[in-house]
Amino acid sequence: MSETDFDFAVFGSTPLAQLVAGLLAGTHDRKVLLIGESRASYRLPRGIDLSVAPITRPQTWALLSDTVPETARLVGRVSGRGGVLRVDPVFFAENPQAVEALLHIRHMAPGFGTAAEPVPQSSLGGNRSGAVFRDALRLNRPQLESGLEAWLADQKVARIAAQSVGIAEDGQAELVTDSGSYRARQAVLADDEAITAWLPLRQWPKQLRRIEHTAILTTPTRPLASSIMLELDSGVFLTQQPEGGVAAFGPGDRAWFSEHLQGLLGRERQIEQAGQTSYSGLATMDGAPAFGRVAGAGADIVVGTGSYGAFIAPALARWLAGTPSPLEAQWFDHHLVSRDGADRRLVEFSWTRGEPVR
Amino acid sequence: MSGFVGDTILSAVLASGVDTIGVSQGSPVGLTSRAYPAIRHASLANDPRFALPMDRTPALDGAEFVTCVPPQARGLARLFQPGRTLGRDLDTTTAFEGMWKSGPAERGEPTDLLVVGGGVAGLSAALAATRAGLGVTLVESRPFLGGYSGLFGTLEGEDSPEESMSRLGAEVLADSAISVLTSAAVFSVRPGLARLHQVEPSNGQNRGRVVDIPAARTVIATGSIERLPIFAGNRLPGVTGSLDAYELVTRFGVWPGRNAILATATNPAYRLAMLASDAGIEIRRILDSRPHSASRFIAFSRAYGMVQSPGATIASVGVARAGGTLSVHVEGRSGIPLVTDRLLVSGGWQPDLTLWHIAGGASQWQHERGRIEPRGDLDGIALAGSAAGYYSRRGCIQSGADAIDKLLGRPRRQVDDPTIDPIYETPDGPLAIAAPDPDTAPAYLDGGPGLLQRPVPPRRRPWQVLWRSGPSGLTLLSEAPQPLSVTEVAAGVELDLIPERAAGIVAQERVASIPLASEQDHSVTDLWGPVGPGDVPPYLAGRFGPDAKVVRLLTAEPRALETGALIFPNSDTRHPREAIGVVLRFTSEGPMALVSSAVATAGLPVVVRDKGQTVPATAALQAD
Repeated sequence: MSETDFDFAVFGSTPLAQLVAGLLAGTHDRKVLLIGESRASYRLPRGIDLSVAPITRPQTWALLSDTVPETARLVGRVSGRGGVLRVDPVFFAENPQAVEALLHIRHMAPGFGTAAEPVPQSSLGGNRSGAVFRDALRLNRPQLESGLEAWLADQKVARIAAQSVGIAEDGQAELVTDSGSYRARQAVLADDEAITAWLPLRQWPKQLRRIEHTAILTTPTRPLASSIMLELDSGVFLTQQPEGGVAAFGPGDRAWFSEHLQGLLGRERQIEQAGQTSYSGLATMDGAPAFGRVAGAGADIVVGTGSYGAFIAPALARWLAGTPSPLEAQWFDHHLVSRDGADRRLVEFSWTRGEPVR
Repeated sequence: MSGFVGDTILSAVLASGVDTIGVSQGSPVGLTSRAYPAIRHASLANDPRFALPMDRTPALDGAEFVTCVPPQARGLARLFQPGRTLGRDLDTTTAFEGMWKSGPAERGEPTDLLVVGGGVAGLSAALAATRAGLGVTLVESRPFLGGYSGLFGTLEGEDSPEESMSRLGAEVLADSAISVLTSAAVFSVRPGLARLHQVEPSNGQNRGRVVDIPAARTVIATGSIERLPIFAGNRLPGVTGSLDAYELVTRFGVWPGRNAILATATNPAYRLAMLASDAGIEIRRILDSRPHSASRFIAFSRAYGMVQSPGATIASVGVARAGGTLSVHVEGRSGIPLVTDRLLVSGGWQPDLTLWHIAGGASQWQHERGRIEPRGDLDGIALAGSAAGYYSRRGCIQSGADAIDKLLGRPRRQVDDPTIDPIYETPDGPLAIAAPDPDTAPAYLDGGPGLLQRPVPPRRRPWQVLWRSGPSGLTLLSEAPQPLSVTEVAAGVELDLIPERAAGIVAQERVASIPLASEQDHSVTDLWGPVGPGDVPPYLAGRFGPDAKVVRLLTAEPRALETGALIFPNSDTRHPREAIGVVLRFTSEGPMALVSSAVATAGLPVVVRDKGQTVPATAALQAD
């Protein structure tokens, strides 16, 4: 294999993408190219990495609970002790259907090692119900990213900034940079932005659809009920920083999101927007995550993992490398992106429910 | 406190010797035209609607004002504050200005064209628009028209900037098709609508009002912002931007101190030094961060006998002694620091793209010129003047007319933006940045209201290894819970905190945006329908087998089982994967559940685990 030929070209900027690239190279001895940059230190947050999520299927909880300890150890090695934080996120809901989903999640989580308790309504305001998930893990993205660069170099992952990318129907990638051309036998589009940017439209899977998302950072305000909150009705995450600013992100256009955020935080709070951006996110029609090669033969994609994606990175790397455990093989095979949607056993709770979000 | 007719509250306060807002993280922060607390009439309630900006509020005889920011000292200590500070607590609030931004707006008169900025580019755009038959509303944040061209001098063949500003201003005021709003600052804009805050006298008081101006077209001519060199103590009282100092002395006749040192990377600052010298101010030294600079201003100031130090940048500034004297330490030069009443700094110019970014405009870092420049177009919105990136007064004036041609879809003419050959006029240098010095006064990224300090990595001394580290100040720009000004983003690029290629995105992302209602109805819609007693959520499909049934659970005693409680075949099983059903919801007929077909049809006994208890039950199949 020449210096410009690689086994995998992993596209993506999220911790999931970078961890998978490093694991494929270091643990699975593949030659890997990474196209994506760390940017948690200067961009508005668009995602969060948590060991809990609004998962309503036990098989997904099972996979996640198996891989969380392994991921935490890996991140500890990559970025030191500060790379993983212990948090008590609160999920809340107001609409009866979302409240029911929350209760299903709250009853299932303890079976997979995550203690979950109801949150008093007085802490949430309005007619909201909530659950707090104790001792969950959160990846500290800025800290992790500061360690990833050296770790990826140690794993011999090559990083490039591609000027143009061609992804063939057999999944091969050709990349052009200032310094030359590169080829990879298999492209892995590991986050929404990478899929949106690089997956040719003719290969677009039927399972996927674009949803406009918004992220807003507010000026400091008084403490929320938890530093991490998720509204199940809308999919909006609220994360409060130590300085008091609230970073919110989720589905919705900017005008709707801004108004909704003010409603969530309470009209009486005097806050201003300290940052805002809109971006395109992806969801599956059935709300379940999707993996594997588009049309069964093209680029590998990863979509719909929400907040827990990074915590299944070791399992995903094993599956991509062809060495998954039986449980992992079964789970990933059930969640192939080429599924036709007829298997209702995969359907997850989803705030979008197949309808466009405004 | 005394003042003169034409003074603003800010100029009157500065003229009275007050040059400090208060203290932030133990270090005093200077009062400038870009950083001041909001004020209100003392007789009015502390309501954001009554807040006024010091630099746009005219001084009125007999008026009494108080600041809206809480005081720092409490009790009797307030009586003993030195007379040069407003004594505000800057660590607990960011209410410098803009307290009115989140309030409602009244609807203003619609206009064909809104021009934001009353400098030469905005004035030129307004005049060009009326020649094209448009009705114009021109909005200027200061109490007067003309802008900031005065500092930059004259190129060969041009009239003086003062003549230029005066002539254009008079033409605009005489044009009946142009409605001029002064002391009015636009703080949000999108295609078709802009929102401004205006200060206007009313019944012997100054009153602020927020107005929405529907505008078919908008020209943004907001000029440039002078950048702040980055060194420890760069916002101590007495440290002033050259443009700020120029405006204060030429518009209001105010020059604090009897001597000054100039630290610059630009040529116009030399002009300020000469004007100050003419006024009897002792210019003790000019520090130029460029090692070999040439300019007519430099030659003139040398002829004035001013001591010039090329290739010199400031390492840090401290307070030499109480009463306002600064000690200036120069990088690479040990020994006795320079002492001065006032330090004038000029770190270059950044087009003010704030409104452009708020409107959705894009931008990018321009490496050769070391600044963020606009990119692309917006429907119905055009940039003009130095906000659009033009350098010369001629270019700015012509760009005003060009912006109108662009908005009207007319043929465009080449804008002549002459620059002097670098042999004769050295271009502005890069922003001067000193080595970080955490043991001295803070170094800020900009001179605006943000008070954003240079991020520093967390410090851990050897003896701290055993201790959990506490808050150590801002370490990342992404964690700053405040908008980032375009100059702060530019400083972030120069400090390698933001990659050049991401500068435009970050500047747009972190601008202080105020959402304006759009044409569409964006009310929060309910995506969810009602829930029926026997409805099975889609995410439970297939969970308990392909033919799972909805049943009513019968318990020995009436009991409300919670939604989501798992149902097991016996009390020995408890793992969710062993569950044979789940409680759907509690209805008037009792708890409804989804269970496997075998349990439902046989009516087998089951165990429900709810709230830490096991509840025996049986499943009763529903008739329908």
